[in-house]
Amino acid sequence: MSSCRRNLLLPLLLMALLLLPAAPAGATGQASAEQPRVLLLYDSLASGTPRGGNIPELQRQLAAYHMQVTLISLNHYEQGAMKGFSNVITVINDRELAVSKAAEEDIAGYKGQYLHVGYNPPDVMKQAMKLNTGMIAEESAKLTFGLFREESLMLRQVPYIAASSAERAYGSLSLTGSGTEVPYAVSSGRFTYVPYLEAGNAGKLAMLEVLKDWLGAGAPAQTYLVIKEIYPFSDLALLEELAGRLYEAGVPFIASVRPVFSNTDFPAMQRYLEALKAVQSKNGSILVNAPVVMPSINSSDLTLNGKMNSFLNLLADNGIAPLGMGADISWTYDKEYAAAGMSFFDSVVLFQDEDVIHREETNVSTAFASSLYSVTPEFLSGLKHEGKAVPQLPADTAVTVNLPEDKAGLEALLQTVNSYWITFADYKQTGHKVVTDTYTVDSAGGVIRVNGSPINVDYMPEAVSSDFEYQEEQYQSFKALFSVQNKFFIVVIAVALLLFGVLLTVGYRLYRKKY
Amino acid sequence: MIYNTVTTTLRQSIRLAGLRTSPAFLAAFGVLLITVIALFTAPYIGMADNGDYFRNIYSNGLYFSQPDYDSQYFGYFVKHFGIYQYFNENGATLDSSQSIFIKLAIGLNKLLFSSTVFDIRFQAAIYTLLYVLAVYLLVEAITCRMTRKQGMLCALVAVFVFGDTGYTAYFNSFYSESIVLIMMLYVFAAWLLLYRKRYNDYFLLALFLISGLLLTTSKQQNAPVGIILAVLGIMLFWVRRDRIFRGLTLISLILLMTSGVLTYLNISKEFVNINQYHAMTRGVLKDSANPETSLKSFGIDEQYAILKNNIYYEQYGTVDVNSPLLEKEFYSKYGFVSILKYYLANPDQFSSILDVAAQSAFTIKPAAMGNYEQSAGMDFRAQSHFFALYSLLKGILAPKTFGFILLWMALVIGLYMPSFIQALKARDPRGMQRMALIVASMAVGLSGIMVSIIGAGDADISKHEFLFTLAFDLVSVLAVSGVIGRRVSGSREPAAGVAPRMQKVQKGVSA
Repeated sequence: MSSCRRNLLLPLLLMALLLLPAAPAGATGQASAEQPRVLLLYDSLASGTPRGGNIPELQRQLAAYHMQVTLISLNHYEQGAMKGFSNVITVINDRELAVSKAAEEDIAGYKGQYLHVGYNPPDVMKQAMKLNTGMIAEESAKLTFGLFREESLMLRQVPYIAASSAERAYGSLSLTGSGTEVPYAVSSGRFTYVPYLEAGNAGKLAMLEVLKDWLGAGAPAQTYLVIKEIYPFSDLALLEELAGRLYEAGVPFIASVRPVFSNTDFPAMQRYLEALKAVQSKNGSILVNAPVVMPSINSSDLTLNGKMNSFLNLLADNGIAPLGMGADISWTYDKEYAAAGMSFFDSVVLFQDEDVIHREETNVSTAFASSLYSVTPEFLSGLKHEGKAVPQLPADTAVTVNLPEDKAGLEALLQTVNSYWITFADYKQTGHKVVTDTYTVDSAGGVIRVNGSPINVDYMPEAVSSDFEYQEEQYQSFKALFSVQNKFFIVVIAVALLLFGVLLTVGYRLYRKKY
Repeated sequence: MIYNTVTTTLRQSIRLAGLRTSPAFLAAFGVLLITVIALFTAPYIGMADNGDYFRNIYSNGLYFSQPDYDSQYFGYFVKHFGIYQYFNENGATLDSSQSIFIKLAIGLNKLLFSSTVFDIRFQAAIYTLLYVLAVYLLVEAITCRMTRKQGMLCALVAVFVFGDTGYTAYFNSFYSESIVLIMMLYVFAAWLLLYRKRYNDYFLLALFLISGLLLTTSKQQNAPVGIILAVLGIMLFWVRRDRIFRGLTLISLILLMTSGVLTYLNISKEFVNINQYHAMTRGVLKDSANPETSLKSFGIDEQYAILKNNIYYEQYGTVDVNSPLLEKEFYSKYGFVSILKYYLANPDQFSSILDVAAQSAFTIKPAAMGNYEQSAGMDFRAQSHFFALYSLLKGILAPKTFGFILLWMALVIGLYMPSFIQALKARDPRGMQRMALIVASMAVGLSGIMVSIIGAGDADISKHEFLFTLAFDLVSVLAVSGVIGRRVSGSREPAAGVAPRMQKVQKGVSA
């Protein structure tokens, strides 16, 4: 190492040491300073077209590489906005639209990594890469990417790379009609071009691979099995059976469990906790799923943080160690959800959005130290690959399945999981941290610690008694006073009765004497 | 007995603004004036959406046009909506008589204002006109046999109660309470006018039938109203001896009964998830000593006991109310009838939830919904207090126990019983109508409470009990007016045609 480099490194290390304690305790994994920030520009969401959904897909993929993303529509782009970002992506979904003049000028002078997806790459990129694009009017194609391939893709009005002087090419697209074979994507210097991203096929995975290289995410990826849709009123016996069967098959898994915010002292809740303990003992890692957000948005409701904190504490009180959170990607684009609901965690599994209800939407995402890219079994099944086993996926991935409803579903699930020939990773082998007001739960090397002490995940089944006093006894004011009063009156009445008896006797005697 | 009334009260009036005015006109004008000021002058008063609007408006060709509409739920009244310009793919999600009025208002809006933007005040204008006419008929029915002074006093009482913006704020909303309010007034007025033998009997029967049908079909919860009106309306059969009237009455009653039954059948079909959720979590489970046992009695997994007291409107929860899991394992296991059976088998729990219901039975305007537009600069959920003294006093002062409701019913029935017995003895079917009307109103009000509890537990109860609070006010105004007219019992003016039998004296008392 040269002396010049050493001189630079020393102050940097000192700065890092000084800045380290300033990070918020609870938000350990969120948006740390050294994470590259990505600017994601787009022309349109292309809803109702084959490209519809590619922007949310990119958001999920960038989150999987721990990026903090700023999402801006090209219509709202202000000149100079690229300066603060290490990486910029532009997506053009409409062939009639191009990068705006202001953005094009910025791209020309931009020093960071620039990735263009879709139609009309900017001139500066074309010149730099000697890029020549063509247009597939309507043709079937085969996409090959590493060990994965997808055949019989039907492409309509899709641009392709006809020629380029790029240093690097990614994957290949074989047009079956013309027999042409072109690269899926190309990269050269600070420019990368991906002409085609449509949600729902191998292109997603190809994009994931391009992003891995583009963002320099070199760490080997792991694949996890995540079971979600676990409610307190799910078939808990079936959940335990599934955990047991996976344990016997040597498959570690993650259970994303629904939080409960009320009636947590009920026997029903105790049974839920018992089931989760059993899951944990069968090499299951526990994640807390995001709560359901009701559509009646109430801006004055600030209870999320307290509710999540209570539930996490409840789990920890019962020897259950939550290691992260399962949430829809839209949660990371909401200030309230991210700050109040996700700030306990540094690890998340981000699912595809289902019903998006924002509380305080933002265009800047929250990034996490550990963030799994969730895929469905259908997605995996749709991929063709070399060999029997599913090849390693580019990013840390969660194969997400719903808790089966019955035994038949359980058998089908186990069969599907076995058919992948994937070695699922154990979530607690890697570092995860959850911080509440009472507990710090962390994991590393397969050991889970609660407030620094390793926990024993062994489980002895305990029967939960259904005897429970659901109705609180009515509070009685001045109970003691009334009690004293009662005794006092008993004495008074007894004395009065005695006195009456005496007087009666005396009176009777007087009467007898008189007559 | 001294009759403090005059025979020529119809012509009795006072001079107001240079016009000779009857009590009914005064009441109608008063209500009109107050309502116009409240609903049509800034700051406009209305009701915020609690999430129910979409069911009423999308099927009628309207949509939420404001981009920040979601943030105004519960908090602010919105007066502008978009009118569909293209094919409306939303089928009718609700079969309600309210659609007639919404469509009428849209037509008027298109004619006078815009074909793309709907201003809800066009609907409010239609409702206001109908309401003012209903108030006129009601006060006319109450005061037509009173002295001028008594009549005017009763008119003021009517303005105080029915001019209250707690009632009229509904006109600037898509809640069906507006129709309930107006049509209930028409039903009450028509029946009372029949008793008074004021106006043409056939016209009044038609009014009774049309308003009864619109009332019954305005809201799914009003199914029992049609049945109650049909059953107690049998008394109307004997009002006249002629065959045509009796035949028409019979047809009317059959129609009312049918509308009630059809609306009930619609409840079973459209028992929406939110209400069904609340019927269990905020009803059956709420006061259950052992929710797990209660759930088992419905064949539901005991684990659902965790949902005890849960409310849909809480921002964050464990399960989506519309989730397939609840559809399959929860909602499919119970309905209106099974909950009714449960309450009948558990009278203690029923009695305790009736007391809970009584807590909100005297609220006219629910506090959960704001009354102002966001642009008015008021707080989220801010409530208007303009001409709302009656609703305010009623909410504060009324004893909120079911025992009080029973006591009130006993008192009012007791007050009117002598006149009813007198009419019975005199074999005067027209004279019996007032008691029939009072009992029917009470039954309608009680049905409002029962349906609320069975249909949605104690959630949203103050809005669901609107029918009771309205019936309470109608009967109470009648009773108070009776006291003012000193003619509660035994002194009924049986009919205009038999007036000479009950000669009036002391003409000059109130002169």
